[in-house]
Amino acid sequence: MLEGKQGSGARKAMEILLAYGNCYDAHRMIPVTSVHMAGNFPVLMDEGIEWLEDLARDGTKVAVFTTKNPEMYDFEQAEELRIPTIYQVRQKRIHEALKALGLTLTYSCHHYLVGNVPRFGDHIAWASSGSQVFANSVIGARSNRDGDHVALAAAITGVIPEWGMHLNENRRASMLIDVARLPIETYGPAEYKALGWHLGKLVGTCIPAVANLPKDMHIEGIKGLLYTLTVTGATGLVHLVGITPEASTLEAVFGGVHPASPDIMPSQKDVDKAFLEISSSSEDKVDMVLFGCPQCSIQEVQEIAALLEGKKLHPDTQLWICTSRWVKTLCERMGLLEIVRASGARVVCDMGAADGPHLYLREQGVRVIAINSARGSYYAHNLFGMDTWFGSTEDCIRSAVSGRWEGRK
Amino acid sequence: MGGKEMMRLKAKPVMKGVAEGKAIVSRMPISFTGGMDPDTGNIREPGHDLEGQCVAGKILVFPTGKGSTTGSWQYYAAFKRGNAPKGIINVSAEGVVTVSAIITSTPMVHELEKDPLACIETGDYVRIDADNGIVEIEKTDR
Repeated sequence: MLEGKQGSGARKAMEILLAYGNCYDAHRMIPVTSVHMAGNFPVLMDEGIEWLEDLARDGTKVAVFTTKNPEMYDFEQAEELRIPTIYQVRQKRIHEALKALGLTLTYSCHHYLVGNVPRFGDHIAWASSGSQVFANSVIGARSNRDGDHVALAAAITGVIPEWGMHLNENRRASMLIDVARLPIETYGPAEYKALGWHLGKLVGTCIPAVANLPKDMHIEGIKGLLYTLTVTGATGLVHLVGITPEASTLEAVFGGVHPASPDIMPSQKDVDKAFLEISSSSEDKVDMVLFGCPQCSIQEVQEIAALLEGKKLHPDTQLWICTSRWVKTLCERMGLLEIVRASGARVVCDMGAADGPHLYLREQGVRVIAINSARGSYYAHNLFGMDTWFGSTEDCIRSAVSGRWEGRK
Repeated sequence: MGGKEMMRLKAKPVMKGVAEGKAIVSRMPISFTGGMDPDTGNIREPGHDLEGQCVAGKILVFPTGKGSTTGSWQYYAAFKRGNAPKGIINVSAEGVVTVSAIITSTPMVHELEKDPLACIETGDYVRIDADNGIVEIEKTDR
């Protein structure tokens, strides 16, 4: 591949992996079974699109099943949503380059719900910090914090340098978090997100083990905790004791030794403080409610539709439910789409709530966003300059109806 | 004016090549997505110790990377617009910064024999020889 016999794209991919592997003293390349790419226009910019087009130029193709994160608008509602031509033209170029490279064009960040399902112990390359921590912590597949260039190089060559999260010895916990002081049985997804926000700041790049979580912890709670932890922290693996496949017991994740005492025992006061910190707005008026960071699962849309049934949104407030095209198809089949539409809300797909709709929404006058995702709140504020309110799904829906923030502040 | 003090340190190469220029030093991790403006090369993260300062054309010295894994796209855009650093010195290289250096052929080293944050100050003249794993520091007269 390095001699360019398989094309310049394959050579470039192998050069990236070799330099990357050398940096981390990897001894060998190992086969990779699943890849996921993250970047879309707001981060790629024109130069990134050209990089992808160059890569695809001489017939380079991925050799491994590779899915793609959301883009910034719903392709089938582009005219209705008044998406500026500058974005549509660039989106078309990204789409064509990815299609030429042979990616599976899911445009979804819940790719593990729509067909990209690695097995326990598989070596994978998933860009996007949220799905990486999900793969390591819930599925037990092994992915480093690679980023798109390494993920694409792995997809093209079929291999990845063996270092970091791919090796057993690097997957042990180095910090014990005990949630025994929290009323954890009463926690819904919003409380788990606030807990994740607090813990992320304390764990940094450590691998924590979290003990005393409910054994029947709901997947939306798990996602809420993990996806938020990687916003304020940079950890790639969280051992949820009793839930993570490698973490059946505390001893199992601490190399056979039961740690003497927890390093961190968060209090409800810590979680309450974090809950308020996630919001960045001080203005009561809410221009828009955004759900779907990561994209809403069918269970989440069912919950939202049940809360919206029989209600009408405030005339000055919009509500978008961001999801994948698969989930939207299910919504249509199940009559959920009608309920959502009757309230004045909208289901949008191919995009997520933090994937840059803010760029055109701001041009349309949207400034204050209410959101049930801590991750979505962070990116909307820090990357796109929006003012945000964070709360539960119920808080957000009550706000969409009244036009003012109805949650905690 | 006294004679210029020179220091020569061994370092582990991340991306080969040679670069020299004035150093800009941060004690905080950097995120290229959201944290650095590709149009100016300015650090724009509120509260960052380099907030409002330009890293373009300099030797950027900082502990490690953080934040979104999409950072390598933003770094690439900054590079193509002429607003990226000439070279990078990290205490410990993290994946996103490493890949940014690789795809832009930016000379980069890490794991120096002495803490670069203690040895290098903003304004020092620094030469990275990542082919041979050497960093040379010429202290600025103060």
